[in-house]
Amino acid sequence: MGSQELKQELKEKIIEFLNLIDTKPEDIKDDQPLFGEGLGLDSIDSIELIVLLDRNYGIKIKDPKEGRKVLVDINTMVDYIVKHRTK
Amino acid sequence: MFYIHHTVCISPQISFPEVNLDNLLTSIDNKLYAKQVSSADIPPAILRRMGKAVKMAVSASGPLLKHYTNLDGIIIGTANGGMEDCIKFLNQIFQYEEGVLTPTNFVQSTPNAIAAQLGFISKNKGYNITHVHRGLAFENALIDVEMLLDDNPAHTYLLGGLDEISDYNFNIEYLCGYIKKEIINNSELYTGKTTGSIAGEGVAMFVVNNNKEGAISILKNVKTIHTTDKNEVLEVFKEFLFNSQLQNDEIDMLLTGENGDERYITYSELIESVVPDAIVARYKHMLGEFQTASAFALWLANYILQDQHVPVHMVKKQTISKPLRNIIIYNNYQGFQHSFMLLSKV
Repeated sequence: MGSQELKQELKEKIIEFLNLIDTKPEDIKDDQPLFGEGLGLDSIDSIELIVLLDRNYGIKIKDPKEGRKVLVDINTMVDYIVKHRTK
Repeated sequence: MFYIHHTVCISPQISFPEVNLDNLLTSIDNKLYAKQVSSADIPPAILRRMGKAVKMAVSASGPLLKHYTNLDGIIIGTANGGMEDCIKFLNQIFQYEEGVLTPTNFVQSTPNAIAAQLGFISKNKGYNITHVHRGLAFENALIDVEMLLDDNPAHTYLLGGLDEISDYNFNIEYLCGYIKKEIINNSELYTGKTTGSIAGEGVAMFVVNNNKEGAISILKNVKTIHTTDKNEVLEVFKEFLFNSQLQNDEIDMLLTGENGDERYITYSELIESVVPDAIVARYKHMLGEFQTASAFALWLANYILQDQHVPVHMVKKQTISKPLRNIIIYNNYQGFQHSFMLLSKV
């Protein structure tokens, strides 16, 4: 799967997982911050995203510091998935 | 005893925002789902995590919380809370072999998530509690409010009752024989001679206090009992009437929770025999059977006292036409949890 396809898939999964009502994949920019002023996610969502990575890509993030680097935006998540996915 | 000032009800009938109870909306596959209402007033970030029960409660409470910004407490009765989300969470345990689980479904599915969410949204730091005593969950919430008002006569509380249909509770109740095996229309709920009822859901919210001024009605008495003994139910009802200081002929209407299950009809008939001069009306064909259906009954009685009109489809026995001032609600959940409430016009 190419990077663009993976980004599209990830956006769809984020919308589904977090039940982002009225948000479409095209509404999420690749470099838009996921938390705070960007997509407006919060700390509970960060746990949901970690579970999403585990269930869909076999990635286990156990170190919170690592999580902060990964869960920045779509670009950082996709880069990490490409390097560490086990499924 | 307390006064009811404002109410909101979301039910399978047309009850919010406008009320039209004359046109009976029908059940589908023995289920009466609450009508969807607009969630426009709920912030999207909060709405996306809400299950059906929480969403219903927040939508119903919205107008009340806007109007009453200084409520002294939020007291909710719900037997199951957000059961659908609870089952989603439990299914994850199986699906992901007790691995990493997501918190949202769990957080939103506990019964006390409803009162907590209302407190959170309205920034209300007052008394906040949830009663979960199956078919008497709402009545216990109501008794709690009574006791709170005895201790704090100047306080005002938000009182509510709600439950939702979930696949889980529908299937369990079906297998236990509490849902009819045959598919019926809710307008025929009382005509068959079979066991079981139809499933329902809804929410009713009330703003209550000790202040008569501006009140619609007054809840004068409430009594609950756990028993399957018909004579005991009858004796408790007579005692309830005596304690209410009303003669039998002063009861204008009896609103019974008859639910179409032939096993429990005798209870209602015994109660009806004590107040032969009263109009007898039924309500479970309007919203189905669930543990906190009595909250809807209280909302309905309050509305009838205000409107002085009883929809034809509700009437089981008509008597001479007279002003409606005193309504007794009798509810019966699965033949062992009974409650009586006396509501009077102010």
